[in-house]
Amino acid sequence: MSTFVELSRAVEGGKRNDAKLLTQALLEQGIKPLEVVEQGLVPGMSAIGEKFKNNEVFVPEMLIAARAMKECMAILEPLLADAGIKPKYTAVIGTVQGDLHDIGKNLVAMMLKGANFGIVDLGTNVAPEKFVAAVQEHGAQLVCLSALLTTTMPAMRTTVQAVRDAGLASVKILVGGAPVTQDFCNEIGADGYSQDAASAVNLALRLAETY
Amino acid sequence: MKPTLTEACQQMPLTCDGAMGTQLIERGMKIGECGMCWNSEHPDDIVAVHQAYRNAGCRLITTNSFGGTRSMLERHGLGEKVAEWNRLAAKLAAEAAGPDGWVIGDVGPFGDFLEPMGDTSVEELEAIFREQIAALVEGGADAILVETMSDPGELSAGIRAAKAATDLPVIGTYAFQKSAGEFRTMMGTTVADAIRAAFDAGASIAGANCGTDLSLEDYLELGQQIVAAADGRPTILQPNAGAPKMIDGEIRYDASPADMAELACKLRSIGISIVGGCCGTTPDHLAAVAASA
Repeated sequence: MSTFVELSRAVEGGKRNDAKLLTQALLEQGIKPLEVVEQGLVPGMSAIGEKFKNNEVFVPEMLIAARAMKECMAILEPLLADAGIKPKYTAVIGTVQGDLHDIGKNLVAMMLKGANFGIVDLGTNVAPEKFVAAVQEHGAQLVCLSALLTTTMPAMRTTVQAVRDAGLASVKILVGGAPVTQDFCNEIGADGYSQDAASAVNLALRLAETY
Repeated sequence: MKPTLTEACQQMPLTCDGAMGTQLIERGMKIGECGMCWNSEHPDDIVAVHQAYRNAGCRLITTNSFGGTRSMLERHGLGEKVAEWNRLAAKLAAEAAGPDGWVIGDVGPFGDFLEPMGDTSVEELEAIFREQIAALVEGGADAILVETMSDPGELSAGIRAAKAATDLPVIGTYAFQKSAGEFRTMMGTTVADAIRAAFDAGASIAGANCGTDLSLEDYLELGQQIVAAADGRPTILQPNAGAPKMIDGEIRYDASPADMAELACKLRSIGISIVGGCCGTTPDHLAAVAASA
C-alpha cells in the first residue's frame, strides 16, 4: 500500500496520530505539500463523506476524520503558504443572522476544507452585510449559508438579496440546514441546496467551476 | 403532598407544555436574542407563557432555561449569570405551575462535542450540567429534563450530573431524524440504543422531543419504538406540530390542535406516559392535547 493510500485511510478512520506521521513521512520523501493534500487528505475526506451520505457512518465519524485532516493541514498550511500556493476556490461560510447553531455549518466547512477549498468562516449570527464584505475582501467564488431554525430562514433570503444587490451576480450561493429545502432555495434565488455536508462538496465544486 | 412525577405518570396520563421560544418571539423577543435574559428582563412574559400552558391543562411546566448552561451563556458573554438566571427560571415556572403542577427544570445541549469529536471531557461536561441543575433545583424544580440531545454520551452526562445534584426524578429526551427509513439522532444513535443509554445513566423517564422533518405519522412510529425500548418504564414524547412546510414563502408548522390531539390519543394508547409539544406548538395545541387525555 502506498503512503498516500495509508494517509487517506488514516484520515478516513480518524486516526490523527497516524495521519500526522504519514504526512511527515511523505514530506520527508520529498513529496510536495500540495500533492499530500490532493492525493492523501482529499481522498480520505471524500471517502468518509461518501459513507456519511450513504448512512454508513454518522456525524461522530465525520468529526473525528475532520480532526485528523485538520491536524495534517496544520503541518501543511505553512509549507503551502511558503510556496505561494493558494486553494483554487474560496468559500465564505456562516450561519445566518439570528441563528447561533454551528454544527452543520462547521461540518460543511470541514468537508470543503478537506476538498481543498479556501474557507473564510464568519461564525454564527452573521449579518448580510458581513457576508457581502467578506466575499469582496477575499474574492470568494462561493457563499455558503446555514440555518437550523425555521425562524431564521428569512435571513437567508435577506442575505441572498444583499449579495445580489452588491453586484455580486456571479457569486454562487449555497444554502443548507435542517429546515432548508430545494424549494426554499429556488424561492429565495440561491444557486444550490444540498441535504448533507458531503453532497455540499460536490455541489460546491460543480458551482465553482461555472463561476 | 403531591406525588413525584415518576409516580404520577404511571398512574394517569400527563400533559407537558409546548414551545417557549416561538411564544417569546410573538411577545417581541428578537430572533437570536438570548432567551435566558428574558427571565430577568421580561419575567411577566415568561410567567404569562407558562400560565397559558398551565391553563391549557399542562401539569408539567418547563423552565425557560434551554440555553442555560455556562457554555451556552458564554456565547452571549453572560456565563456568570448561570446560577442567578436558572434559579429565576425555576421560580417563574413555579409561579404558574401551582400546587398540582410540576416544575420541569430544562437543560439543553451544551453547544459542543465530547472528546474525541470535540475538546470537552466527560468530567468537564458533567460539571457544566451540575452547575445549571443545582441552580434549577434551588429555584424550585420538581424534576430535571435533559432534552433535545443527539449524543447519548452527552445525555448520560446530563443525567448523571442531575443524579449527583438531586434526588428528584430525571427525564432524558432526544431529537431524532429519519435517515434511510430508520430513526436515528444526528449522531447516528438508534432509538433502542438511545433510550437504553438514558435509563442506564439513571433517568426515570425517557423519550423524544423535537425532531427533524418528522410527520405526525413518524412520531407515532417513533413512539412505538420508544415504548418498546423502555420495556415498561415511563416514557415521554413531545412532537413538533408536524413537519415544517413552506406556505406563501413562509415556513409553517401546520398541524392543527385537533391533529395533535388525535396523535396524543394514539400515543397514549400505545403506552407513552407523558405527551407534550415542541416546535410550532402553542397553548391551543396543548389545550387540545390535554383535553384528549
